[in-house]
Amino acid sequence: MTITTPSITPSATPHPLALPDRSVGERARRDDVASIPTALRSEWIKLTTLRSNVTILALTPIIGVLLSFILAVFVEIDRDTNKPYNIAETFVFSTWLTTVLAAIAGILLFTSEVQHGTMATVMTAQPARWVTVAAKGVLAACFGLAMGALGMIGGLSGAVLGGLESGDTSEMPAKVLWALLVAALAPILGLGIGMILRHSAAAVSILLVWVFVLENLIRALIPANVHRFLPFSAANGLLGTATGTDTPEMIAAELSRVQDAFLFGGYAAAALAVGTVLLYRRDMT
Amino acid sequence: MGTVITVSSLTKHYGDRVAVDDMSFDVAAGRVTGFVGPNGAGKSTTMRMMVGLTRPDRGGVRYRGIDYTRLLRPARVVGAVLDARCMHPGRTARMHLRATAALSAIPVRRVDEVLAEVGLGNAADQRAGSFSLGMRQRLALAGALLGEPEVLLLDEPSNGLDPDGIRWLRNSLTAFARAGGTVFVSSHLIGELEMFADDLVVVGGGRLLAAEPVASTLARGHSTVVVRTPQAAELAELLDRRDLEIDAVDVIDQRLSIRGTTTATVSQIAFDHRIHVIEISETSRSLEEILLDMTGATAEYASA
Repeated sequence: MTITTPSITPSATPHPLALPDRSVGERARRDDVASIPTALRSEWIKLTTLRSNVTILALTPIIGVLLSFILAVFVEIDRDTNKPYNIAETFVFSTWLTTVLAAIAGILLFTSEVQHGTMATVMTAQPARWVTVAAKGVLAACFGLAMGALGMIGGLSGAVLGGLESGDTSEMPAKVLWALLVAALAPILGLGIGMILRHSAAAVSILLVWVFVLENLIRALIPANVHRFLPFSAANGLLGTATGTDTPEMIAAELSRVQDAFLFGGYAAAALAVGTVLLYRRDMT
Repeated sequence: MGTVITVSSLTKHYGDRVAVDDMSFDVAAGRVTGFVGPNGAGKSTTMRMMVGLTRPDRGGVRYRGIDYTRLLRPARVVGAVLDARCMHPGRTARMHLRATAALSAIPVRRVDEVLAEVGLGNAADQRAGSFSLGMRQRLALAGALLGEPEVLLLDEPSNGLDPDGIRWLRNSLTAFARAGGTVFVSSHLIGELEMFADDLVVVGGGRLLAAEPVASTLARGHSTVVVRTPQAAELAELLDRRDLEIDAVDVIDQRLSIRGTTTATVSQIAFDHRIHVIEISETSRSLEEILLDMTGATAEYASA
């Protein structure tokens, strides 16, 4: 067999209907930055046009209402403090579940795109991969904020419906802000985990096992001044919700909320950074 | 119009296996170029490297001199369909395209235009999960056409299409090329490709085997002329003197077959020497047969 010279002779004359010759421009860094709004718009369309996201968002206040209402009506007394539940404390309780749900939403923001092959379309249209990460990160944080806010509104409503006393409301604004910060950071952490693992079931399973099993086991095995640095210990610290299993040593070793914020934010940023590096290094399937 | 895509020294390894080995070819503007080769020849890997989804170990792909990953507006230069399943099943066709259009700052009016163009105007608000493979192919093509690109890069676009869909695709791609666009399309349907491709890039075992106009590939498949004549031996001698390749001479059956020539040549020689010809016919090898011959030795997954 003869191997020919690897070139193709073009047609001698252009077709009469030929398109005008287009100028093909080369991208600069400022073009990447300028394309962030379009990437955000695209992510927004994707986020809002899936029923699963709307369902997650709708579930959040329902969980808040139910949790507060059940505590108010069926439990009534906080076993840790031996005092009746009140609105000022109860409204934020569901944020812990909201945080986990928001982290799962963050995971799915990336892994569902990989699973359905749409990430390849995104990477083809936007070769500057960090732009996509930035857009997804912003959207994830906004989604988390919305979830956090709705969860607390639900929690407040459930507590009021359950007939709880208002309690000391002076710390409520600060609690709301810290809770919103946790809810905004959680999906960014989830997004990073999703980018690292690229598989929905694996990423969600690992997250849930870590949150509900492993971190609790580790907390039981290592000293309080070490386990306070674990990610969801920091998130708990930010929410200011005692678990009931906290020993006096644990309480003494607690970090300040600002430290917890930096710690949890650091985990989220690290996961996102590792995910971004891997996104550049790996082939997109 | 010149060259629009330049593939140079493209190389990709997966562990010890060489998926694409030092592949270089040019694709001319305004033409349909078929990308053919057996399974495992490196076609999909090459196409993925052509749009920056897979990082080459060596070499690169340039569009009018610019690396794909450096293009200012890739969707306006290249429209690619590498996998027709690339859509979320829970999203409607319209919203799938709106998200794609938004990413490349393409006006939203293009969404309805391309949906109509690919014949999915009536299914615009249906979820992609309810689409047949053929409808998904059409939706994927609509996505590629959104940016009114200069180049269409399509990997097996006729998969799942019914005969009417295949004809529609062929006509669409031909019209796109006639309007000045460039089509680079991989397909296993060689007969189909023969009907509308101008050029071929043939690969096997990750290596480039040929890059040439379809006519040149067809010329590789020497035609055979079969002549029935009572003077078979005499004609064979005459043809041999003219260095024509005699395939077989059957004096008893009065039959002679000659490779790499035409009926016109053979009948002229016979006429000039007053040789009585009872019957003359010419058989040509199909493009598929020629390509099978070319790639046969490199096929990774050959039938028994």
